[in-house]
Order: sequence, then C-alpha cells, then structure tokens
Amino acid sequence: MTRAHYLITTTAMTFGLTSAAFAQELTVSAWGGFFEETLAAEIYPLFTAETGIEVKSIAQPEDSAWMTQLMAAARAKQAPADLSLVVDEVLIRGNEVGLWAELDPANMPGTANLTDGYVQMNDSGKAFAVGALAFYTTFVTNTDYAAEAPASWAELWEPKWDGKLGIVTTPNSGLLEVTATTFFDGVEVLETRDGIEQVIAKIAELKPQVSLWYRDEGQFQQSLESGELNAGLYYHDVTMLSIWDGLPVASTFPKEGGIVSDAYWVVPRDSENIAAAEQFLDFMSRPETQALMARTMGIFPVVPRESTDLTDEEFAAVGSEITPIRVQTHIHLREGDWLETKYQEMIAQ
Amino acid sequence: MMRTPTYGPRLIGGAAFGVMAIFFVIPLIFMIVVSFYQPDPMGFYKVDFVWENYGKFFSSFYYTVSLRSLYSSALGAVLVVALAFPLVLFVSDLGRKWQLFWIILLLSLMCLSEVIMGFAWLILMSESAGIPRLLEWVGLWDNPRSLSPSFGAMMIGLVFLGFSIVSLILYPAVARRDRSIEEAAITLGTPPAMVFYKVLLPTFRTSLISVTLTMFVYLLGVFVMPTMLGRPQDWTMTVIISDKALGDANLPLGAALAVVMLIVTVIVLIASALLTQRRTA
Repeated sequence: MTRAHYLITTTAMTFGLTSAAFAQELTVSAWGGFFEETLAAEIYPLFTAETGIEVKSIAQPEDSAWMTQLMAAARAKQAPADLSLVVDEVLIRGNEVGLWAELDPANMPGTANLTDGYVQMNDSGKAFAVGALAFYTTFVTNTDYAAEAPASWAELWEPKWDGKLGIVTTPNSGLLEVTATTFFDGVEVLETRDGIEQVIAKIAELKPQVSLWYRDEGQFQQSLESGELNAGLYYHDVTMLSIWDGLPVASTFPKEGGIVSDAYWVVPRDSENIAAAEQFLDFMSRPETQALMARTMGIFPVVPRESTDLTDEEFAAVGSEITPIRVQTHIHLREGDWLETKYQEMIAQ
Repeated sequence: MMRTPTYGPRLIGGAAFGVMAIFFVIPLIFMIVVSFYQPDPMGFYKVDFVWENYGKFFSSFYYTVSLRSLYSSALGAVLVVALAFPLVLFVSDLGRKWQLFWIILLLSLMCLSEVIMGFAWLILMSESAGIPRLLEWVGLWDNPRSLSPSFGAMMIGLVFLGFSIVSLILYPAVARRDRSIEEAAITLGTPPAMVFYKVLLPTFRTSLISVTLTMFVYLLGVFVMPTMLGRPQDWTMTVIISDKALGDANLPLGAALAVVMLIVTVIVLIASALLTQRRTA
C-alpha cells in the first residue's frame, strides 16, 4: 500500500541531490506527511544529540514513484537521500537491480535487538536493509453511523454500509489476503491464478457497497471523519491520532487479524555516508527508540515487545495480540502486471 | 541607408525551436524507446525490443478505457465552450469596470491548483456539508446523498477546470467584434433572439472549433478530477497510465499506453481539421 500522506509527488527529488556534501550530515527520507514530520520532530534530534550527526529530513512520495526516482538517480550516480524508508516490495525490487548499499551488521550492534528476520541479507550474505517499523491497516468505522465495532472482516460484505465504504484501489492493500483468510481458509489460495481469480471475484461483490476506491489517503480520511463514508480499510496509526483528536472514528482488529506491513531502512548505493548511516540504523534499532516511535507515531515496534518498556495500554494502542494478516509480497511480485490488471479491471469495469 | 537587421527574430525563433526540441521531442523519443522495453516485475525493466506492451492495449480493457477518455474529454470540451461563449458575449457588452471584474475573476480561478478545486467541489457535493444538505434544509430532498463520485461530478470538475481558459482565449476576439453586423441583422428584420444563431455563431465558428479542440486535448490529460470526483468506471486513460507507470513502476507499459493515446489524439485532431477545412471550402 502507498504511504505518502496526501498528494505529494515529486518535490522530494529537488531537496535531496546535494546530500553528500558534508560527512556529518545525513539526509533521511520518509513518507511525506505525519510520519516524516514526527520523525524529524521527535526522533532524529535524539540521534543528533548522541552522535553530533545532523539529520536533514525530506519527504518522499508514494513507494513506486519513489523507487522510480531512486532508479533514475542511481543511473546518474546520485543518492537522493542517505537513508530511505521503504516497504518490502520496493526493498526486494531494488535489491534485485542492485539499488542498495551493503551494510555491515558488526557496525550496527543495535540491530541485534530486532525481531528475527528484520535484517535483510542478500545472496552474498551482506545486509542491505534494516527493519524500521511495522504498521497496521485495520477495519475503520465512523462511530456516529456504526456504533458497534465490527467483529469480523466478513462484515464488510454485509449490506449495512448503505453504499458508503472506502477501499484502496491498489491490489497490495491487503484486501486480497483479508478476503482469502476470511472466506478461503487462508492465503494459500492465492498461490495459483485460479485461486486469485476466485478471491478477486469475491472482492467484486463489494462493489455496490463501495462509493470511494481511493488512492489519496487524505480524501479517505476526510470523508470518514465527516461521515461521508461509514467504514473502510485504513491505517491504524493515523486513525488513532484522529480518535485522540476526538473525532467519531474507530479502528478495529477483526477476529481474523489486522493487516500488517513492514517498513525497512535502506541506503541507496551511491550514498557517501554509509558509516554515519550505520550509526543511524544502530540508534533506530534500539528498544528505547522503538518504544518512543510507538508512543509518538503509533507504529508497531520491530523489536520484541518484552524488550520495550511499553505498558499494556500503550501496546494495545499500536497493535493487537491477534495473529496479523501479512501481505503476500512474493505473490504480488510474481504475478505483477497480470494481477494488477485483473484487479484494476474488476474495479474500473 | 542602413538595412534593418533581420537575424534578431530568427535567433529568437531558433532558440524557441531548440527549447521545443530539447524539452518536447527528446522526452517523446525516450518515451517511445521505453515503450518497447521488457518490463521486469522483480526489478524495473530490461532494455529490449518487444511489442508486448502494445499487444496489451488491444487485448484488454485499456481499449474500453481509452474510448471512455475520448468520450468524456470530447463531451467536457463541448460543454465548456457552450457555457463559456455566452458568458464571454455577455461580459463583452458590459461596462469597462465590470469587464475588468470578470477578467480578474477568471484569471484568479486559473491560479487555483487542480487539487484545491477538486477538494472544493468534493465538499460542495458532500451530503454532510454541501449542496445536498442545503436542498434538505430547503425541503427539496428528503434523504440527501453525496453527489460525488459520479460521472456528473467529474464533468462539473472538468468544465470548471477549463472554463476560465476558454473564456480568456475567446474574450479578445469577441470584445473586438464588429457590432455593426449584429445591428444590420436586426435592422433587416432578424429577431434579436436569432442573432446569436444566425450571426454570432457563424462569425466565430472557426475560433469555437479550434478552442473546442484545444480543450479536448487539455481535458484528455487531466488526472485529479477523474480520480477525486469520478467513479472507477469514469477513470480516464491518464489515471490508468499513471497507475501503471508510477503505481506499479511498469514504465514500459505506461509509455506504450501513452504513445497509443498520443496517436489517437493526433488522428482525431487531423480528422477534425480536415473536416472543418472541407466545410469552409
């Protein structure tokens, strides 16, 4: 799913190209909007205080657009940022074409704290990405219109929404996996094209209920908060912020689980500040930093819960004990254009 | 006697041509080249020469989508001109002060970004704050529903977007027109209501056609209004191309679709130019 908040497109590029001028400055890019702002305000200053390395924070556009820019920059031997926050799909595709610099775990002792699997190794055994944070997508509702929290994802298919659902347009939103888990006993059905077509046909049943197939998150959020939409799929973290602001919305983990997505830090190959970037990754992997990010940004930590000092209440605000539904990135990559076209046809025809 | 040097204008013309070549032709050539590359879902694309990307256009729903785009941009263009032309006529007959007021108003509309206009219309058409709520309050609509997303909402967005551009293109010619022809027509017995059809429309026929064609091409490239105000069934080729090129990072397919759209547009433009020429002759 794309995580650029509001319509941010190509501005990030213009800021980043001068990054490598000073060794003691790191340019770090993150999804524009709330994430980038909070990281710059709450997290990076602590890193600067500890190491003396200044952090220049820049906003990056949605994932694939950003990857396209990184590709173009790599061809010109430029790194738009020294570090970048990406989802696993971008991470894997970028690694395949050698976009990322190799990192040495020995220089980043903090990464030992991470939950297993969050240090990504390439074929030659070098690290190329470090887990940054995880975030949930849940079943969100407007409480003025739906007083009771939904118990199951199956309720999306019930006629009670009065045609006022909002769903993401892209096939990697997690809805395929949710549908497979709820109606087809698990994501295994997605392993074959036949299975995928069955799942897409099930999603097509939602169409009369969906008034907004969104690609702009701002539009969804505004419509949900105003009651224009009654329910949909949306980010748990941003919805929690709206709840704290007193808006009539709720974010629910249905019994089948919320959708979890992982985000990683990568260092573009042409960055000249790899040593400083490793220091940054060491800092970001510590349980204290992860706990602080959970409190300020509402993200789900990528270190085991026991290693943090998060209280039960704080933990419940950012995630859930229910086993999450994971986006099957390998299927999305393998079926690529075929899947995207099938999905788009289902929506737009 | 000194000869007036003539290389100045030529130099400027040459520079303009150079800029066109660099910023239009070269990216266009690059796009055509990329459209033959092999997309690589695991990476990015492989340099190659395949027709696969073009094949996809004719074998799937892109075909339907492009017809749909042609239809909505053509309808939008005709509506914009049909609404803007009477307004310009009306404005051109006003006093100097009011003319200036309208021109400034139209100019300031052009300063708004498409996104801001989209959001404004979204709020206007929402059931919680917009026109539907107003109609309920007046007692005309019992159970108000949001008016967007819908084809109508998208059309309103497109018309709004093009309105000031068309008005400002038409204004100079309309304001300077020879009013004695209209007076002569009335003197000779044409009913005032018929002057518009018998005199004004034929006088401005060529400029109306050319501004409609300009609008048609402009509306074909609009992205925000269809995504914000239209239903998925209304999404135009521009939306699909950007989904492919940016959303799925499939540049070759996006480029191929764009090339096809370009060819279709050029054919439509040439055809309409030929048709209007024949009628004039």
